[in-house]
Amino acid sequence: MDSKRISIPSSQTAGTASQPLQQNMYLLAIKLRLLRQNCQSFLRQLCRHPSALLGALVIILYLLAAVFAPYIIPQDPFIGQLGNRLLPPSWAEGGQPEYLLGCDELGRDLLSRIIYGARVSIGVGFLSVMVSMAIGVTAGLAAGYFRGWFDEVFSRFADLLLAFPYLIFALGVMMVTGPGFWNLIMALSFKGWVEFFRLTRGETLSEKTKEYVEAAKASGQGDLTIMLSEILPNIVHSVIVLGTLRMGYMIIMEASLSFLGLGVGTRIPAWGSMIANGRQFMLNAWWISTLPGLALLILVLSINLLGEGLRDILDPRLKID
Amino acid sequence: MARRWLVAAFVFTLVAALLGGALSGCTSPTAEVEEEGKTLVVGLRQSVLTLDPAMHRDRVTETVLRNIFDGLVTRTTDMEIVPEIAESYTQLSPTEWEFKIRQGITFHNGDPLTADDVEFTFMRIITEGAVDGQSSPRAGLLGPLEKVEKIDDYTVRFIFSEPWPVFLRMLPHQQIVPKKYIEEHGSAYFAEHPIGCGPFKFVKGSLEEEIVLERFDDYYGGSPELPPVGPAQVDTVIFKIIPETATRIAALQAGDVHIIQSVPPHLVPELEKDPNVVVKSCIGTRAYAMDLNTKLEPFDNVLVRQAMNYAVDMDEIIETILGGYAVRCPGPAIPGSFGYHEGLPGYEYNPEKAKELLAEAGYPDGFSLVIDTDEEMKDVTEAIAQQLQRVGIDATVRVWDWGVLKPLLDAGERKAVVSSWGNSTLEPYDLFEPKFVTRQGDVLGRGNYSHYSNPEFDELFARVSVTIDDEERASIYRQLQEILYEDCPQVFGYSTMELEACSVLVENWEPSPDSRINLHDVGLKDN
Amino acid sequence: MKLARILERILVSIPIMLGIAIIVFLFMRLTPGADPVDLMMGEAGHVSEQEMEALRQEFHLDKPIHIQLYHFLSGCLRGDLGTSYIKRKPVTTLILECLPATIELALGALFIALLISVPIGIISAVKQYSFIDRASMTAAFFGISMPPFWLGIILIIVFSASLGLFPSHGRLPFTVGLETITGFYVLDSILTRNWAALASTLQHLFLPSLALGAATAATVARMIRSSMLEVLRQDYIVLARAKGLTEYRVIVKHALRNALIPTVTIVALQLGVFLGGNMIVETVFGWPGLGRLVVDAIQRRDFPLVQGAVIIYAFTFVMANLLADIIYTFVNPKIEL
Repeated sequence: MDSKRISIPSSQTAGTASQPLQQNMYLLAIKLRLLRQNCQSFLRQLCRHPSALLGALVIILYLLAAVFAPYIIPQDPFIGQLGNRLLPPSWAEGGQPEYLLGCDELGRDLLSRIIYGARVSIGVGFLSVMVSMAIGVTAGLAAGYFRGWFDEVFSRFADLLLAFPYLIFALGVMMVTGPGFWNLIMALSFKGWVEFFRLTRGETLSEKTKEYVEAAKASGQGDLTIMLSEILPNIVHSVIVLGTLRMGYMIIMEASLSFLGLGVGTRIPAWGSMIANGRQFMLNAWWISTLPGLALLILVLSINLLGEGLRDILDPRLKID
Repeated sequence: MARRWLVAAFVFTLVAALLGGALSGCTSPTAEVEEEGKTLVVGLRQSVLTLDPAMHRDRVTETVLRNIFDGLVTRTTDMEIVPEIAESYTQLSPTEWEFKIRQGITFHNGDPLTADDVEFTFMRIITEGAVDGQSSPRAGLLGPLEKVEKIDDYTVRFIFSEPWPVFLRMLPHQQIVPKKYIEEHGSAYFAEHPIGCGPFKFVKGSLEEEIVLERFDDYYGGSPELPPVGPAQVDTVIFKIIPETATRIAALQAGDVHIIQSVPPHLVPELEKDPNVVVKSCIGTRAYAMDLNTKLEPFDNVLVRQAMNYAVDMDEIIETILGGYAVRCPGPAIPGSFGYHEGLPGYEYNPEKAKELLAEAGYPDGFSLVIDTDEEMKDVTEAIAQQLQRVGIDATVRVWDWGVLKPLLDAGERKAVVSSWGNSTLEPYDLFEPKFVTRQGDVLGRGNYSHYSNPEFDELFARVSVTIDDEERASIYRQLQEILYEDCPQVFGYSTMELEACSVLVENWEPSPDSRINLHDVGLKDN
Repeated sequence: MKLARILERILVSIPIMLGIAIIVFLFMRLTPGADPVDLMMGEAGHVSEQEMEALRQEFHLDKPIHIQLYHFLSGCLRGDLGTSYIKRKPVTTLILECLPATIELALGALFIALLISVPIGIISAVKQYSFIDRASMTAAFFGISMPPFWLGIILIIVFSASLGLFPSHGRLPFTVGLETITGFYVLDSILTRNWAALASTLQHLFLPSLALGAATAATVARMIRSSMLEVLRQDYIVLARAKGLTEYRVIVKHALRNALIPTVTIVALQLGVFLGGNMIVETVFGWPGLGRLVVDAIQRRDFPLVQGAVIIYAFTFVMANLLADIIYTFVNPKIEL
């Protein structure tokens, strides 16, 4: 993937009014073609990476389950029958076939709740990575490109945030805002942007000195254009890899916060709070806390598999712990 | 090279110790302690707040204190009032009681207990700022008590500003403290080095971990109505604070503790399988209910409140979540309590009727509702929310720390809360007074989370206090229950049975309905 | 030169600490919610206006916010983090009481993590692509994806509830009767020659340490493996082999020593992670440490305690990073500034 430098020498001669338009169209066509080639070669490489492919397939499965949850759940995940309290999974003694994974302490079908729980985990994991990425990449590009006071302020603030352990920081934010889906995303992104910021800033610093940026500058392109259409495409691979790997971490964080009772609230099924609820029944109903945890483990495992695969394919030099 | 061997040896030792420990871990070390004398260990569910009997309103604290201090009267496990320090008592008039005090009782430091100590104990509670400048939170438990007078060294008289029929039932909650000792050392010192006249004396301990008591050999013997009379059976008592339920139960099964409080109903079957453990239950004295804030929409409409009662299936909750270890309260009072209204049928579970009432009240599509509660009541509250969802009410649960929630409830900011209130006299007085009565100047009771205020109710309730005749008082209580039953300031709930468990080695111990653990008469068999 | 670099690092962490203290303080004050005085009174009821006012003064709640900040920061310098609203004890005392338990658990987790990861990392590198290598790297992959609280619950169900091998809660049963000197039970029981207590302490320490250390074990094993692989390709290893040294000497004497350099840094960083990420594991195992203290304080909205604990967490985290830096400076021969 070293063919990714997409810098096209821009207008060498000033022409008539119609020329730049034509030229732009031409450039666009080339860019699109490169993109398509990139995608094709990317998919080819992914297919040669079985573990990453497996991860991607499992993630797609989870995604489908989350999106179509209301249509595929076998039972009502919100309202149970108290009579089914602590009903064992169907294969265990006393289980019933229509409740495949058994029921929880309020007689709600565990499988349906696990399927619904995927919505929270994937939603929070994805959105908090997206928010973190948006803030971090924007700030990182600007800081690395312009340097100056902006860089100074953001870098110091990032250092400060890095001094807090992640979980305690998110817990503190949740304590202030109270439980809730968007609060959770905010709490996680509050510190989550730092990694993206540092990555983008570092890469921007090194890209900035390269020829193609100098050339773009010389040709009179604006700072914004250079940042977005010259530098960004060249660091986007690293950002994607980091984003994928952070997503698994964010999902575990979400589950941890839910486990401590500071998640999305009691109404929406979330794996973390299901595990926490099941803890008091550990001795006589093991399934309540172990099965949602298993769903969580498989999802995070798949995301990490995909993430490591992406790193091998897109950006082998990138080192993330 | 030598260093490497040292490291290896260290690792080996650690691993060996770990494995050795794991294999020998099942034997309990209690057997070794036995030789020095019998030690009884009690697992408590929460930390003790203070060792000064005047400075708390907490049952667990009282459980510990009752073994160091005695009261004028006490209760049998059947809730009957019997004299303890008092020899006898008579009611002189509706507002005056006279107590004769048993002679020859001494405190743990050898000082004799006289009428002075009794007078001091009660005046310390009802006088503002009498405890090192602070006021006792227990004053409310003494109603309209005006003063206590010493008649002679062994006679005291209680004088009330108005008649107060539940006095005798409330009296077991007050323990006698030594006047001379407290005056000499101050209340702060007393709270750290408490001296009482109970069966055990305080040795050492910390409020958040464990409290060690030792037998008081010169004990006068306790109430003659509660045999055996004499010094305590065991030599040492340790109250161990074990807040985690799982740990408390594991400690009992391992033989590390002998009696534990608060066994969750869902673990009873598991515990009953254990041949070394006995689970005991008795009727409880706490009323559990969901208070509905009558000042906030939509619960300012009585139809909605009634609909809520129809929508919640308490029987199902008792049967499943509480494992049947609870008694349903059809109305606001606990079944079996004094003046209990047998005629109230209880709102039957009828979601259709609930929906009709909601529609009639203008909520055909229900409404959304957050029900507050604390960790203890989480399961029940979620079950209630689930049932409310069936009639179209979008109910969710929010779990708080009680200390955080309580000020919000008092301020009337929350709509509905599931909680409980102790009714240890088993007379509705100390349940209704804090929960439903509005005193003069629009002051609500300490537990009136419904912000219920009904002049008709208050007027009738005022008559309870001045009615000495039991039959007449009971009839007023029944009328009060009828009013509340119609007004529905709560979704009426249940009263849980006290579930406690002990080792098979424990003798002569029964749980008591007010969840105190009196250890004076309890013995311990050898293995 | 190395000294200068270390000094510089230490100096840099001072403004960071100050920033942390200010951020935490402002954060806590911005929290909406009930009046702290109401919280403190809790269920007590029966409080006069005068007593409320006295409380407000005691906690400086009647002063403007910058004065409060000043009081707070000057307190921090003196090691005084304020007084807990609920427990009414100095925050510093409460934290110091819990800290040994937390540190002991962190060290236990580190010990277990190294015990597992070092041999696995070495063997996997030496026998690259063997069955052992593949199996342990798969296991390591599971390890880094495993939510620690779930692992804790599984460990309790398997080793405690079903097999009865290890206790699931707490540090020590009180019946063992250990005289505490340092607060580190392992140390105390050795000092007082109380072998029963030592065995019991280690037993209690085992499961939580495993739950906390598993992810690190996985990370470190992967790390050692990859740096070993890198080192094994170097010329001097080839040379050492060519000289006819035994395989054992080549690996242990030459390769391992160099491969461990990046690992040591990671280990120091992990210590910070252990100290900062233990709320969950402490909650699951009822471990009476700082994590439990802070989770409890958050639920009770005991702001001074949360504030103090967060600062201590951040402080230890910064210290661990500093330590990692210093170690790195010393062990890495390439750094010469």
